[in-house]
Amino acid sequence: MSKNLGILAVLVVVFFTFGFLEDRFFLPGNLFNLIRWTALFGILSIGVSFVIITGGIDLSIGSVVGLSATLLPWFLAQHELSAPVALALVVIAALAIGLAHGLLITKLRLQPFVVTLCGLLVYRGLARTLTDDQVQGFGMGHSALRQIAKGMPCSLALLTALVGIGYLMWHSLRWVFPRTWRKGLLKTPGELLAIGCAALLGFGGLLIWALDAGELARIQAPAPFLILVVLAILAGVLLDRTVYGRHLRAFGRNETAARYSGLAVDRNVVIAYVLCALCSALAGVLFALDVNSVQPAIFGNFYELYAIAAAVLGGCSLRGGQGSILGVVVGTAVIQVLRNGISMLGIPDKLEFVILGAVILIGVAADEVIRRLVARRRLDARVRAAANATA
Amino acid sequence: MRLRFARALAPLLALALLLGVGACSKGNAGKIRVAYVTNGSVSFWTLAAAGAKKAGVDLGVDVDVRMPGDPTAQQRVIEELLNLGIDGIALSPIDGKNQAAMIDEACARTHFILHDSDAPGTKRRCFVGVDNYEAGRAAGKLVKEALPNGGKFQLFIGRLGQDNALKRCQGVIDEVFGWTFDPARVTGQDQVIQEGGFHFLGIRVDGFDEAQAKQLAEASLQQVPDLGCMVGLFAYNTPAILEALRDAGKLGQVKVVAFDEADASLQGILDGHVHGTVAQKPYEYGYESVRILKALKQGETDKLPADGFLRVPFTVVKQGSAQSFWDALKAQLAAAKSSG
Amino acid sequence: MSAWLEMREVRKSFPGAQVLRGVHLRLQRGEVLALLGENGAGKSTLMKILGGILRPDSGEILLEGAPLEIESVDDAREAGIALIHQELALADNLDVTANFFLGRELRRGLLLDEAGMERECSRWLARVGARFPARARVSTLSVGEQQLVEIAKALGQNARVLIMDEPTSSLSLAESEHLFALVGELRAKGVSIIYISHRLGEVTRLADRALVLRDGQVSGELARFELEHDRMVSLMVGREYQSSEQRRSHARAESALRIRGLVVRAHPEAKLDLEVRRGEIAGLAGLVGAGRTELLRALFGVEPALAGEIWVGGEPRRIRSPREAIAAGLGLVPEDRKEQGLFLEMAVRENVSLGAIARDARCGFLDFAAEQRLVQDSIAALRIRPPEAERLAGLLSGGNQQKVVLARWLSLAPQVLLLDEPTRGIDVGARQELYALIDELASRGMAILFASSEMEEVLHLADRVFVLAEGRLSGTLDRPELTEEAVMQLATRSFPRLSA
Repeated sequence: MSKNLGILAVLVVVFFTFGFLEDRFFLPGNLFNLIRWTALFGILSIGVSFVIITGGIDLSIGSVVGLSATLLPWFLAQHELSAPVALALVVIAALAIGLAHGLLITKLRLQPFVVTLCGLLVYRGLARTLTDDQVQGFGMGHSALRQIAKGMPCSLALLTALVGIGYLMWHSLRWVFPRTWRKGLLKTPGELLAIGCAALLGFGGLLIWALDAGELARIQAPAPFLILVVLAILAGVLLDRTVYGRHLRAFGRNETAARYSGLAVDRNVVIAYVLCALCSALAGVLFALDVNSVQPAIFGNFYELYAIAAAVLGGCSLRGGQGSILGVVVGTAVIQVLRNGISMLGIPDKLEFVILGAVILIGVAADEVIRRLVARRRLDARVRAAANATA
Repeated sequence: MRLRFARALAPLLALALLLGVGACSKGNAGKIRVAYVTNGSVSFWTLAAAGAKKAGVDLGVDVDVRMPGDPTAQQRVIEELLNLGIDGIALSPIDGKNQAAMIDEACARTHFILHDSDAPGTKRRCFVGVDNYEAGRAAGKLVKEALPNGGKFQLFIGRLGQDNALKRCQGVIDEVFGWTFDPARVTGQDQVIQEGGFHFLGIRVDGFDEAQAKQLAEASLQQVPDLGCMVGLFAYNTPAILEALRDAGKLGQVKVVAFDEADASLQGILDGHVHGTVAQKPYEYGYESVRILKALKQGETDKLPADGFLRVPFTVVKQGSAQSFWDALKAQLAAAKSSG
Repeated sequence: MSAWLEMREVRKSFPGAQVLRGVHLRLQRGEVLALLGENGAGKSTLMKILGGILRPDSGEILLEGAPLEIESVDDAREAGIALIHQELALADNLDVTANFFLGRELRRGLLLDEAGMERECSRWLARVGARFPARARVSTLSVGEQQLVEIAKALGQNARVLIMDEPTSSLSLAESEHLFALVGELRAKGVSIIYISHRLGEVTRLADRALVLRDGQVSGELARFELEHDRMVSLMVGREYQSSEQRRSHARAESALRIRGLVVRAHPEAKLDLEVRRGEIAGLAGLVGAGRTELLRALFGVEPALAGEIWVGGEPRRIRSPREAIAAGLGLVPEDRKEQGLFLEMAVRENVSLGAIARDARCGFLDFAAEQRLVQDSIAALRIRPPEAERLAGLLSGGNQQKVVLARWLSLAPQVLLLDEPTRGIDVGARQELYALIDELASRGMAILFASSEMEEVLHLADRVFVLAEGRLSGTLDRPELTEEAVMQLATRSFPRLSA
């Protein structure tokens, strides 16, 4: 939780710094774009965080994005399949990819780095071969389908209100049914703060929506953002409230002990890679529907690095076992705000990677330093308490 | 022991497999063999490859088309071709300045020409391509037509390293500001120029990432509310710009000038969202390159252009001519595919 | 009596604790001094100061009456003091000679003098009675052999004081015997030895004197004739201590675990048959490499058996993985607690509940309330200290970590609990607590099969002992016939005993 707070603070600071430097940054249109890109990349990051929590890595994300982004228009425009069939085929392809990764890693005991590196090459080549390297697109058609990526289902204020108030209601359920109330945890400052934030967002959003107040009320929620919110809630529940999530974390912390404890480790890991591939494919489809011009050779190149960077920035440890969905989503937002801000401020594009790299490095280093400081302070406090007790 | 033997055998088997596949694709001794090397594999190059192959059939030359996407891959392909003892190579260099050494070495070993993007100062025998500076100036003219009263404009491109990209940008800028004809002039990427009613706001480089291209276009629209004209200088830039405009609800309000002949760009012209495009003739690139390579091999230097620059004409496509241009293009592509 | 080596008023504190509060230590030439104390009493810290790894906050060290400045490991080595680490510090990808000379290689010109080094190394290896070549790769050596390399290395650097920290904790009985003989020889040659061990039997046998530490202070010094088990323990734990009474067996008639013709991977030529009844505590004894751990791992499906049948509670079971073992009603407290048993960076709560959450879950969703109940009950029942569910398991003491692992298994109520070296690295007080806990489990009808290298533990805890040798069951000893000699006899059957 404290990790999430840290990255949230970074997001707020970066966001307002850019806003302060360039007032157009806060324009509703720009915020809308920002949220949409965050949503698209966030889906990738959520997927990869499952893999990272197992202590693995997926380098094939960019290529899976490229392949699925290529396949959808290829099925639709070239082969004139119906949308449901095309989507189903893309999902099947992603399932097969994730299964292949997972099985190679668990059953053949190959290293995730190697397996997914080969995947990176194979899927890119596959996308290029299938389409004969031709640019894929939907042209002017499939506008209904493209609503999935381009639609604006509701106002952002309403969505925020629903999420915030939903969180509060779920919390109050725990009071109504104390059997499911996790004793002691509510007292942690992190949880209280989360409730505070939820209340602020929920009622703030509700107020803005109800009063139809100004610019803010008119910002629409991009459809991908709605997808991200749903996905993040599902992923968060899966990770923190199910046996699967607990077992996944345990496996990431200590693989040997997990085996000795009789966990179905292989199955869990396979599922993690399947989830990652599915998320990548979902994002790929959304990217394609949004951008509408897919060059099989380059589409999605290096996106795995954005996803991994966001996950790490959001508190995942590449050693495994650690990470939260909220942190990962916020981490993605930080990266997207940086990219957007850099181009809004007219900072030369050449510098983009320098700034991104530096911020991620500083973020991760600061987290480590703070962690040690806190540990040190706790230790000192214990010493003092012990000294007082003996004195 | 036996396992270790099997492990040693596996790479050998793989190698044998590769060699076998390689051997099968060999054939046709005696004929002139030339290679046509592109800088990527988008549909533009499919057309060019079709032209090259057609020339091969017409002129009785074996044409090997290769489509490496980055300088390293280009170098590898060139080295391989040289080692195969190829009779001639036509290359579209990605980064002509820095590939000069490689180009000169290849010139020493075979008949070597460049197409699409030139590398001035090298020993290449000939350059086949559009004069990018002139094409840029043509696009600049389109900008001036689109903005009769002047205004703000911005350029969008994938890479700046290659000669054609630089010349293209410079041509646009020089024409809009009415500067003299000087292909050697270089205006900085982030320079801002305000002169005679026009306001140049710099060049946005996306590093060949379509999503990033769209993101940059969106950011520009947010940042500069009174942007007059967006110029997409690589084939995919204009489709990305159009998507960004569509999302922002500014289709038709902000003028667009395109380069090349992406479907979305042509559709944009038909819909009136794009003022016009400067289309190259990739088919001609391929055809002419092979023709010149054959001439070089046979020592018929009189068939070469005097200044070593075979100018392939470009066409300016506007609303009136878009439909017929597109139909012709489709026919060409269909023919290329059925033959290729 | 003036001492040859003396440490005076040594104090040291770390953030969080004052570890040494004015310790005084004297050592004569050619003396074996046992250094005793529970974990955390300050033994290791004191020895790290003497070995130059740590600097004391205050205090002085005298050698032959003259002050000695030890500021680094090099200083200590210079003074002839060598520390044989608890975790051996050899580079196991190199050979013995390379390790022997690591950091002070002999040269001839610019090149290494390989032949010279090998000669020198062989000489010292012979002196400590090593029977492996100087060119053997360290990774192929047993722990005992690696220890000999360390000792030879120290002697080769002219060590006059050897500090041995738990030297027998990973040794087989035969290797231990060899070490004891070596200690005797070195003493006779005038080398002084500071011997740290939890195994009080060894101390009685070897030491000339014992210094007992408790909470960073000397709680007592015992001369040779005072080295009695209960007396040492009393000084260590700080209260009067009496060995527990002989355990009463809780064994019932019904079979809990029966194996027939079991073949484990490490010993494919041997077949194992044995049976443990409900409520019975059965011990697995044997030398290192006799196949105790392998048998437990095969039973639990970690390294599935190659052949053989397993019955749990009278029913035949196929066990190919830990999951199947758990389903069959088995549990395993593994040998390496930190690596195989615990999730050190996870909370006690998550460690304890890991087994039961799947059972208590509703449609895959965690039941946090049930988890909380289970964890609180376990903490209370097993007296896990401190009783904090959210504390990270890695921050607990060894004994409490072991209780956490036990708690996880108890939550699944297995019919048979397998324990591999259940008290390794756990201090005396906590051991007694674990023994009581195991006894209580047996009294409730759980069958226990434990492997242990510690004779005292086997003799104290087991109703019946299966002795393994070279992967075979060389004999079964019931209570009346259970003596140290009988176990050793069976354990060393079929290969010649090393000279003691």
